[in-house]
This record gives sequence, structure tokens and C-alpha cells, in this order.
Amino acid sequence: MTWADAVLFAARGLVRRRSRAVLTLVAVALAAALLTALMMITETGRSRVLDQLSRGGPLAGIRVDAAVDDAEVDRVVNLPDVAAVVPIATTRLLVTADGAAVAAGKGAGEDQAVPAVPGGTDLEGIVGVDFRQADNLPITVLAGRLPEAQTATEVVVDQRWLERRGVAEGEEAGVVGSEVMLGAVREGAGGRHDPLAVRWTRAIVVGAVAQEAAPGGVLAPLPVVLDARAWTGGGEGATYEGLFVVARGLNQVDEARQQLAGLGLPSEAPENLIASVLRYLHVVELVLASIGAIALVIAALGIANALLAAVRERRREIGVLKAIGARDRDVRRIFLLEAVALGLGGGLAGTVLGWAIARGVGAVVNDYLSAQGLAGVTVALPMAVLSGGILGSAVLALLAGTVPAVRAARLPARDAMGEG
Amino acid sequence: MEVRNLSHRYETSDRPLVVLDGLSFSIPPGGYVALTGASGAGKSTLLSILGGLEPPQSGHVHVGGHDLHALGGDELAAYRRSTVGFVFQHFGLLDTLTASENVEVALALAGARAGARRRRARELLAAVGLADRAAHRPGALSGGERQRVAIARALANRSRLVLADEPTGNLDERAATQVLDLLEQLPAERGCTFVVVTHDRTVAGRAPSRLHLAEGRFSTP
Repeated sequence: MTWADAVLFAARGLVRRRSRAVLTLVAVALAAALLTALMMITETGRSRVLDQLSRGGPLAGIRVDAAVDDAEVDRVVNLPDVAAVVPIATTRLLVTADGAAVAAGKGAGEDQAVPAVPGGTDLEGIVGVDFRQADNLPITVLAGRLPEAQTATEVVVDQRWLERRGVAEGEEAGVVGSEVMLGAVREGAGGRHDPLAVRWTRAIVVGAVAQEAAPGGVLAPLPVVLDARAWTGGGEGATYEGLFVVARGLNQVDEARQQLAGLGLPSEAPENLIASVLRYLHVVELVLASIGAIALVIAALGIANALLAAVRERRREIGVLKAIGARDRDVRRIFLLEAVALGLGGGLAGTVLGWAIARGVGAVVNDYLSAQGLAGVTVALPMAVLSGGILGSAVLALLAGTVPAVRAARLPARDAMGEG
Repeated sequence: MEVRNLSHRYETSDRPLVVLDGLSFSIPPGGYVALTGASGAGKSTLLSILGGLEPPQSGHVHVGGHDLHALGGDELAAYRRSTVGFVFQHFGLLDTLTASENVEVALALAGARAGARRRRARELLAAVGLADRAAHRPGALSGGERQRVAIARALANRSRLVLADEPTGNLDERAATQVLDLLEQLPAERGCTFVVVTHDRTVAGRAPSRLHLAEGRFSTP
């Protein structure tokens, strides 16, 4: 018997027991819908949590707090599990923010309201980074923007620095456009600062950020910090005070740290926190997936039950098929095809239904988030869930159909004779 | 067909039930034999062994060059496909298929292509007087028509042995006569051996040769 003939037989068998087939199909569809919806909702929640976590920088970020030069940077760049390296230079400068500043491009004394940083002069830690690689750094812009990479007159200020100066959370935008003076103090004999040898640079605060790249209240383009450090006489030895390294993925963070240790570079990474969160998410995923899977297994048992009933009812028909020459494998094939048809049909319908349910839940959640002033979520149907819903149902149905199919194939051909 | 010392028994909870006890007989090609006996005499068992529905437990059964004792599962299936045609009391038609498709099933199992199957089914249904009923399902056919479809199916693969188990048992007198007329033409027209199991004296009386089974042995009725 060819596959085409077997398909015809299977289809006719299902159509003849239409009510039972439809009920079985509905059971599979509901189970697949539950599984799909739960998986989609879980995946959406996971994406949302990871998105929130990644606002503190790349999830696979590693901080190297050690003095390094360009040659060592090159060695780190070439490590197998490292995706990106951002050198970080730091120095300490006098920062004057007395409120008498001017906005960028505006002359002093012009009749215009100018935002101001509360006054005072501090010796402040300045962090120099290459802002072209800002995406690879744990920097979140709270207000304004980041400086241009090559400019010497733009800086951003850190949230904690603003807090120290009395700028409340949520008012960071008020300092954008203000002016600060950065004073590089040349070191005198014995490493003491020479208060008479200060080189002042005017800079515009173009943004306020929250950052974990390095300790420091002001972030400036890398050349600004290197130049200031050279002038103060602090440019001896290593070029950079640290690195921010991004591993190729969360699972490669450990390997990347080991490779860094091999180069003699100590490192720290927040991956333990992220790994813990991911573990919790994984547990939630497992629990929800298990609920869906249990439903699918129950549906598969329904398929097995329906097919076993069909085998009982069709004993004589199976016997007749054998009497006219069907082999055991022909009979087995027909019943397996019936099972797969139920699984595929139910899986397909269930996945569509599950997608609709997840979208509905997403809409309700978005309404709530919107009312809370929070960003909404996007409910997507991942390919793994789509294929898993349909193919998983079919495979489970195939497994469920195996026992009835084998039982049907083993029925004696003599059953064709009936009871007489 | 050559049967020597054929015995068969079924295990019951009390004791083995002997249904065939050392039967020996032969039927020449093109022979027409009626097998009679009371219920439980072993007629259907003998028919199912001759038709390869179950293997003989002991003794020798040779049909058309096949030693049935030596055939395994797939070989018995092949024997049934190529050599035997069955006609059952309950017709044995698949009620989800049309009359034509019921005939085609036997051809499909023998590996015939779709076009050839349709042509052969049409030809056989015409031969049993059902050309205009080819597209009807069994539920839309009378008992006599169903049995004629079953006869067409039994002849689909040019079977050399046709085994009929109470073929008129569910038919009225007129339909039974039509069916018997059709079956009785087989040895002469198609050269096949025809064995009919019946406990209807009229049906048995039409066969040139009769074997009567009683308690697993041949006897005089």
C-alpha cells in the first residue's frame, strides 16, 4: 500500500468517526493553545526583564579594574570569548559649576535664561571613554545626550554627582546645556598639586547619565581625559585605568573572565545577579511549560484513547483489509497517519489560538502598563514556539498513536470472518 | 489444493478445543466444493486456514504451489493478495469507500497504479452488473449489490482460489440466487477453484462436490 493510499484510508477513517475526531482535535488544540500562550507570555516577560537589566549595560559586561596599555588592550581584543573592549581613562580635575555659565554657542552676558549646575568647586573624578562605543558601556542617558566622541568641549554628568549637588531625581534635564569649567592642576614636587598651575577648559554639560563604567562624577571624551592627564603630569605608566569588556554572550562570561585572568587582569562582572535572575526566569518557564506540556500529554492520551476505541470498533474492517492482502505495516501506517493528522491539525489550530490568547493578554497588560506610565510589551511568536506547538503536537500524537497502531497491526486476519 | 492430516485446536480455559482433527482432502484446479456442517464444526476455521488468515498448526496445506505451513506474516499476506479472494457473509466492504474504491483497495495492496486500478474496477463491476453503482457507498447499496461488489473485489487480483463464507446468509432468496449464479460461473469462466461454506442445504445442493464437517472430521451428512 502506498503512502497516498494510506493517507486516503486515514482521512476516510477520521471522517467516518467525525464527532470523535473533532473532539479529539479540540482537546489537542486547547492543549497546544495553552502551551503556546504560556510560552509566548513567558518569553515576553523574559525579554522584558532582560531588556530592563541591559539598561545597566551589556548583560555580558565585565569590568577590568587594572592599569593597561594599548598592547594589553590589543591582547584582550583578541581573546576568543571577547566581543568588544572599551578602554577607560580616569583623572581628577577641578570642576567649577558656579551658575555663571553660558549655553553652548552663546556668549556670556547675553539676555537668555541659562540652565545652571549648583555652584561650588570640587576636585572630581573624570571618566574618559570612547563614546562611539557607548552601547558597550553601562551608561544610561537620563537627560540630554552623550558627548560627540571627538569634541573637547562636551561632557555629561553622573546622577550621583548631581545628587551631591542637590539636583533631585527627575530634575536632571535642568542641567543640560549648562557650563562647567574643568581645571587640570599640574603636579608639583612630591606629587602635590600646584595651585598656581591650573589649565581651565570650558565644557558644556550635554546630558545627565547613570553609569557604572568607573567611579567619577563627570564623563568626557577619552582624548580630553588623556590630554588633561598628560598636562598634569599623571600620564606616566599605563595608558588606561581600566577596561570594560563585553563577552560574546552571557554563557561566555566565565570563560572570558578566565582568559582575562590568564593575562593577569583581575575582573568583576554582574553576571551572578543576571544569572540568578535568569535562573528564576528559567524556573518560571519550566513551570509554565510543564503545565502546557501536561495538558498536551493529556490530549495525547485522548488521541490514544480515541484510536484504541477505533481499533476495537474496526476489528473486522482491519481483518478484512488483511484478508485482501494488507500487511501489518500497512495497517500500522494507517493508524499512525490518523494520529499524526489529529496532532498536526490540533497543533496548528492550537498554536493559532494560543497566539491570539497571548496577544489578548498582551493587550490587557499594555493597557495596565500604559495607565502606570510604563512602556508596553511586544508579544511575539518565536519560531521555536511556533514549530514546537505544531510539530510537538504531531510528534506527541505519533507517540500516542503508536500503541493503538501496533495493536491494530497485530490483530489476527481471522477477525475478518467475524464472530461466526 | 492438497490438504494432508490437518489438525487445529484452540486453547480454552478448561481444555484444548479440537476443531479440525486430521483432515485430508484435495480439490483440483477449477473445482467447486461446498463445505457444510453445524455451527462450531470447524468450517470457518478450515476456510481461514485455506485462505491464509491463520497458519495451520499441524499437517500440510498446499494451495497453488504454496506450502502454507512454511509462510510467515508478510508471505501469508502476499499469498492472500495474489492467490485468494474472500466473500464474507457480512460482505466485508469498507463503508467509507465507494463500490469502485472497495474493489480498488485490493488492487492498491497489490501495487497496481491508479489508472489501471480504476479501469480494472470498472470492468469487474460491469461484470457483476453494477457498472452504474460504482460511485455508491455500501450504505446506499442493497445486500445483494454489496455481495456482488465483494465478489468483484475477490476477483480483482485474478485470484485462483475464491473462498465464500455463507455468502447468501444475509440475502433474500432472489439476491441469494443472483449471487450464487455469479459465484458458480467462476470455475468455468475464470478457471478458479471455488469453496463455499454454508449450512444452507439449497446452496450446498448446487455444488458438484460436498464435504461435511462434524466435530472436526469429515462425515456423511
